[in-house]
Amino acid sequence: MSRRYDSRTTIFSPEGRLYQVEYAMEAIGNAGSAIGILATDGVVLVGEKKVTSKLLQTSKSTEKMYKIDDHLACAVAGIMSDANILINTARVQAQRYTFAYQEPMPVEQLVQSLCDTKQGYTQFGGLRPFGVSFLFSGWDSNFGFQLYMSDPSGNYSGWKAAAIGANNQAAQSMLKQDYTEDLGREEAVNLALKVLSKTMDSTSLTSDKLELAEIFLLPSGKVKYQVCSPEGLTKLLLKSGVNQPAAEPSA
Amino acid sequence: MSIFEYNGSALVAMVGKNCFAIASDRRLGVQLQTVATDFRRIYRIHDKVYIGLSGLATDAQTLYQRLVFRHKLYQLREERDMKPETFASLVSSILYEKRFGPYFCQPVIAGLGDDDQPFICTMDCLGAKELAKDFVVSGSASESLYGACESMYKPDMEPEELFENISQALLASVDRDCLSGWGGHVFLVTPSEVQERTLKGRMD
Repeated sequence: MSRRYDSRTTIFSPEGRLYQVEYAMEAIGNAGSAIGILATDGVVLVGEKKVTSKLLQTSKSTEKMYKIDDHLACAVAGIMSDANILINTARVQAQRYTFAYQEPMPVEQLVQSLCDTKQGYTQFGGLRPFGVSFLFSGWDSNFGFQLYMSDPSGNYSGWKAAAIGANNQAAQSMLKQDYTEDLGREEAVNLALKVLSKTMDSTSLTSDKLELAEIFLLPSGKVKYQVCSPEGLTKLLLKSGVNQPAAEPSA
Repeated sequence: MSIFEYNGSALVAMVGKNCFAIASDRRLGVQLQTVATDFRRIYRIHDKVYIGLSGLATDAQTLYQRLVFRHKLYQLREERDMKPETFASLVSSILYEKRFGPYFCQPVIAGLGDDDQPFICTMDCLGAKELAKDFVVSGSASESLYGACESMYKPDMEPEELFENISQALLASVDRDCLSGWGGHVFLVTPSEVQERTLKGRMD
């Protein structure tokens, strides 16, 4: 096990790598995964919740999806305590922008500001980087619907379909194969569920392990962030045929 | 002349039975010169909480923007709207933050609580809350509003009667104040719906 260039985030190894940042990405590889797909009429986010114990109180609201502003939401993979800090700053940033300019913050600008924060922790003062990857989805008047992915190094990029968390590479390649241009929101949901069910470690996809959120435009032109209810998810799973009801009865 | 009367304003909120109304005049002036005749001083915070800001219009707008900022963050963190009482405390604390360089505003806050109980309150520019069970007033026409509301208010009014009374009180009062007038805006809030009405009065 190497030690010399590990202990500080701010020091390059002779091969030109930042180990702490790479370890942070490793940490995310074990987290519950999330998939985002850009559709023509919206953005779809699907996340896998890791159910650690049945005694654990499941929160009434979402665990992996967070609304940042009326027109912006994100899905998280990684260390939740780190994520909470970043989500908080993101929300404050979005409101500061609105306070200053009296209009909603452009999506990329928010992603960029958050990634600046992340980057700072890979360069300055003996701290560790944030162990979080995000999928940002949102709508703004300049570029319409957008989907961004960010990692602990502070890199971000725009995607048509992206996956973070456990087995993200497998998911990514499946998305690459099955993604088509001009995908509707409903088809995007189906695709996301299909990919998630195949890349997840657990055998069957059930509504209590799943979160689904969508961003789309209402007929009035307002942006809507909508989280799917557990009942709605169960129906969706049956309809999409991802969840075979004929599976062997659980012991 | 006081900075509170620079733009001129009239604000009033009244409670009825499981409802409330909040009303303002429509004039924005610079001392005796009228600048706008469709000015808004009442802002919606969410469906059941409204705030009217009398006093210096520029401070009122900035204060409102700060309140939106804080309320939005509250909504995102708590995943619910603020109760009127909570919102009043927020306004109060934001005003007191500027104790030695205050916003020149006197807010009127009105809202419906969880069990549809109406809540109204006003405060001075430093955030000292004044709660009332019947009506609250503020602005350059506040003195005449006190008199008008005192004689027209009745407990447990139904929405339509409440609208009539608050409108009459407002129109009667602004006619006795040089700095406010040009009709009015009335928000009538019941548990099921919100009605916004524009009043025509003496348009001069």
